[in-house]
Amino acid sequence: MSSPYIAAHGLGKSFSGKLVLADVSFTVEPGDVVGVLGKNGAGKTTLLELVLGFTPPTSGGVQLFGYDSYRLPGAAKARIGFVPQQDELVNQLTAADQIGVIASFYPKWDDELVVRLSREWEVDLGQRVKNMSVGQRQKLSILLGLGHKPDVLILDEPVASLDPVARRQFLEQIIEVAADGKRSVVFSSHIVSDVERLANKIWILKDRRMYWQGDFDSLKDSIVRVHARSTQPLPASLSILNALNVQRNGTTATATVQGWRAEMQDGLAQQLGAEIEVEQLTLEEIFLELHR
Amino acid sequence: MFILKPHSGVPIYRQLLDQIRRMAASGQLPPGTELPSIRELALRHAINPMTVSKVYTLLEAEGVLERHRGKPMTVAKPTRAQSPLAKRLEQIEPHVEQVALAARQLELTEKDAVKALQDAWEKTDEQSVHRRTRPR
Repeated sequence: MSSPYIAAHGLGKSFSGKLVLADVSFTVEPGDVVGVLGKNGAGKTTLLELVLGFTPPTSGGVQLFGYDSYRLPGAAKARIGFVPQQDELVNQLTAADQIGVIASFYPKWDDELVVRLSREWEVDLGQRVKNMSVGQRQKLSILLGLGHKPDVLILDEPVASLDPVARRQFLEQIIEVAADGKRSVVFSSHIVSDVERLANKIWILKDRRMYWQGDFDSLKDSIVRVHARSTQPLPASLSILNALNVQRNGTTATATVQGWRAEMQDGLAQQLGAEIEVEQLTLEEIFLELHR
Repeated sequence: MFILKPHSGVPIYRQLLDQIRRMAASGQLPPGTELPSIRELALRHAINPMTVSKVYTLLEAEGVLERHRGKPMTVAKPTRAQSPLAKRLEQIEPHVEQVALAARQLELTEKDAVKALQDAWEKTDEQSVHRRTRPR
């Protein structure tokens, strides 16, 4: 297996003594599309900024292409694309000039791609940035992150202001990036359904820590809702292994279970003397259950 | 070609896996049928290419699909002429059980539940006819 593009070990950050991210470790392999989820203030932006080397870690470290991300050589920097939550466009410039400025930093700039996408995404290259709508600015900002064909593309809430059509076009572009299995994407989003389509890995940040990380498919298989139905009242002390939330109502009970495996169903049915039904959850439901 | 619902509790890879398996078993995708490329299928459904790749690899290992160098994957010839009825029934059993369970919980009569299945049966037939007429 090839070496990871991004590797973090015990990564932590405090701002003037206040902890904003604690002890986070992960890797991103070529071809990965990572969806970063978390409530506002969970540490998503800080995490992405640490990866990008915008700020030094207080503890641990993160490496990009094998280099310490805070001391990244120029050639490695050119392999990263970033789309910030708040765009950093220059109001006075036209879209075309704004693209020109960014393109001048990169020897590998793909002008054909950018022009084609700006047409497909209906970004008027002649328009001044200050006259653009929030959605237009966001599209332009994404174009600027894609134009040099980065090996690692990092996006912080890239679709918040996009309409459903533009969001789908954006998703298609991310698929194009990921399709050859040589480039990676890390994106944070509150649009859980987009994460659901695109991500093969999920990071869930909660209370400034990495609460859950792993393969998306195993997340959906391991966190499920279990319904128990019996003819007799279920025991008051309903001890279901790794249950996040349990609701009991006489002869029926519902529990959200973490670390579920299909073979547990029969054992549980015997233990409770109940009929067991397993309900699989959407990513949004899983996210909500983890935050109850 | 496939009906994928990302916003469902069932992981996308499993939805795709089950559908190809079922369609190959039933002969809806006859042996030799070419499958879309990973990129094409990922784009059409706006899903992660690795998900498609994983499904194709699993199905290749199972002998449902065949990989050809530089060419599209195809549906493999089943080892026996047509997968026997019992085998196909076995595959649909868990789904039917789910429906039966849900119907009982809703206190439907057997007749109502069967009627609902019949309606769904006809509806999906219209859908599949519609899909077939669309150019690939």
